[in-house]
Amino acid sequence: MNFKLDGINRIRLLVACGIIFTITLLKILFTPSGLYSPSFDDESVKFFDLDNYKGRADGWQYEERVLFCVPLRDASAHLPMFFGHMKNLTYPHNLIDLAFLVSDSSDNTLGNLKKHLNEIQNDPNLAMRFGEIEIFEKDFGQIIGQSFSDRHGFAAQGPRRKLMARARNWLWTVAIKPYHSHVYWRDADVETVPPTILEDLMHHDKDVIVPNVWRPLPDWLGNQQPYDLNSWQESDGGLQLAEALEEDACIVEGYVEYQTWRPHLAYLRDPYGDPEIEMELDGIGGVSILTKAKVFRTGSHFPAFSFEKHAETEAFGKLSKRMGYNVYGLPHYVIWHIYEPSSDDLKHMEWMALEEIRQKEEAKIKAVYDKVWDKAFEGVQNDWSKERNDFMKNTDLTNFRKIYVDWSGAESENLVENNEEDKHLADFDPA
Amino acid sequence: MLKISIWTKQDEEISTTMLNHPIVRNIRRRPLLVVAPLSLIVILYLFIFSHREPSKKTQKYSYKSKNKSWFNKNKDSVILRNLPKNHLSHYDLNQLTVSKTPLENKEEILVLTPMSKFLPEYWDNLNKLSYDHSLISLGFILPRNEDGNKALKSLEKAVKQTQSDPTTKFKKITILRQDTNSLESQAEKDRHALAVQKERRSLMALARNSLVFTTISPSTSWILWLDADVIETPPDIIQDLAAHDKPILSANVYQRFFNEETKKPDIRPYDFNNWVESEEGLKLAKTLGEDEIIVEGYAEMATYRTLMAHLYNAKADQNTEMALDGVGGGAVLVKADVHRDGAMFPSFPFYHLIETEGFAKMAKRLGYEVFGLPNYLVYHYNE
Repeated sequence: MNFKLDGINRIRLLVACGIIFTITLLKILFTPSGLYSPSFDDESVKFFDLDNYKGRADGWQYEERVLFCVPLRDASAHLPMFFGHMKNLTYPHNLIDLAFLVSDSSDNTLGNLKKHLNEIQNDPNLAMRFGEIEIFEKDFGQIIGQSFSDRHGFAAQGPRRKLMARARNWLWTVAIKPYHSHVYWRDADVETVPPTILEDLMHHDKDVIVPNVWRPLPDWLGNQQPYDLNSWQESDGGLQLAEALEEDACIVEGYVEYQTWRPHLAYLRDPYGDPEIEMELDGIGGVSILTKAKVFRTGSHFPAFSFEKHAETEAFGKLSKRMGYNVYGLPHYVIWHIYEPSSDDLKHMEWMALEEIRQKEEAKIKAVYDKVWDKAFEGVQNDWSKERNDFMKNTDLTNFRKIYVDWSGAESENLVENNEEDKHLADFDPA
Repeated sequence: MLKISIWTKQDEEISTTMLNHPIVRNIRRRPLLVVAPLSLIVILYLFIFSHREPSKKTQKYSYKSKNKSWFNKNKDSVILRNLPKNHLSHYDLNQLTVSKTPLENKEEILVLTPMSKFLPEYWDNLNKLSYDHSLISLGFILPRNEDGNKALKSLEKAVKQTQSDPTTKFKKITILRQDTNSLESQAEKDRHALAVQKERRSLMALARNSLVFTTISPSTSWILWLDADVIETPPDIIQDLAAHDKPILSANVYQRFFNEETKKPDIRPYDFNNWVESEEGLKLAKTLGEDEIIVEGYAEMATYRTLMAHLYNAKADQNTEMALDGVGGGAVLVKADVHRDGAMFPSFPFYHLIETEGFAKMAKRLGYEVFGLPNYLVYHYNE
């Protein structure tokens, strides 16, 4: 082959190159959409094309920013654990913007929060530091106490949910910026969570997605238990119930008062199941939610009123669906909430502690009693068997009538008494 | 020395016998015969076992940057500039006031406008607002089409001019390009056809929500919704409306026109979305399917609602208030708390209402009251 170019061929080649070049240039100038973008030098003017922040499945590879929302109330005790998890997050920290709402707290949650944040932001390893961090303070006035049983009693649920919804809305409405692509909600009191939680949820490419939330339990309560019953699929029973209730009523899952027969995400867990399996949901819980930012941006929120007979996170699921977004849960991908004992549990635990002391006391007394027994009483059986014949020397033993004493009755009487005592203990009524 | 030499001699002998061995001779003659299969085995070994052996650092995901090619670059304003120390800021929202006298309390206001057309009259009117401009932030959202392009270019020019003048400079201006698609035609006729109303207003609701929620800041006390085609308002409109101290307060939107009958300039009602619910309206709602909406101003849907537009009385007090159930978006002042509580513009039929009317309903569900000022006029552009 001969590549020598004569004059005409050279010109042809140049023209071809020129055409290719201009086409590329035109493409560069007029693609992707021919949309005009202004440019401002002034710091007070900002322009954003919201299309750049729709949220992809592999957002971390496109430098997509995540707004990480954490509502806090009297949460000082949980902060060390929470920041332990934060440090381990594998999603690039500089792409995570943190937003905290501290409300109605009396345990210096704010001070402790700042302490932890300053520590992490001064980490010599720059990769540990987070993006923008905003702390908002707003008190809503507490209707209900903050103990487990106060919070989880049935009557408290409606008003409590609506108040929590307000708090959540106040947090995200002031924190979300045009350039956020994803929003992640997380409670501070999560005990065990994979460091890849954001990627694990994000790569499913769903508008709204939640993991399964369980909690560990003490052995005497059965080791483990589903925690978050707010993630469910709607059922005919649920819809019928909703229809029957008045406008402002608020259905809450996991209470016998409202039987909905809905399939719960929590109960569908198989410890050996594929963590990638997805399940469509209608209501969701708020322990850990990943959404695309557009879901909130376009107006979905945590209804602080009864929306389709639900409030807060459960209604957020319903509202998002109503707006055409998809809502999913992962039945076999689990994160673990901390175990907080209920007041019944606390009473039972107190009884267990007392019972342990009592049994120790009893064992001590028994040991002393066993020791003292030999000293206090003298065995006379041997003497008697020796002396018996002497005593009976003058008695005619041929006519001796054998007497049987039936002790069984006495013994069983004794046993019954003991049994009753046992039963009483086992049947302990904490009330 | 002698011994060693003997040993070497023996060695030499052994090696020569080995070299004369037929297999060795074969290898020497054709080395590929051995090297090829040997290297194949080695390669196969490496290939199989390199996959079995877990690498020391197993990452579940790849973190390699996949950012778009250079010509497709994000042209948005640089994110995260001038962050405070440790990137940490703290806002106490308990201190935020929303009062009758916003100017005295230095309350910040956010003026929001969805804009598909830039009207110079609108901009002039905005610049004339008597409220302290350093307390006013502006937010605009433009549709993703040619109309949006055109409006954006004009807006850019106007913004640059206003912001370069310290006397008119606003605190902050955020301009957004909508991500959702928008209807192509915005001609007056198409815009009001009942069939397209629902879709148009649904998209408008999405735009309004995207605008308010990304621009509302921890220091925002009030939000003024001002449509891009409202070209004339009293310069004191912010102070005037705030003085009523209502969660949601709508002005009455009228339009100037030349009356052919009287041969004189005249005014006529324009926005019919400010209304009070009627028995008939509620009855009508009951007959509708879940996904149907009621909109005002169409003969097909007689609701007999009381429309604020018709209640204007030139001689009556400007400050007369009336309770409303639905509002339009022409000129509405909203306490920022209402939006922070979650009140938004439903893009779906919410109690058979959509967009601004749905917003009023949602605010009411949240426990807020909605009012209008029938005698306080603002003027819509005449096309």
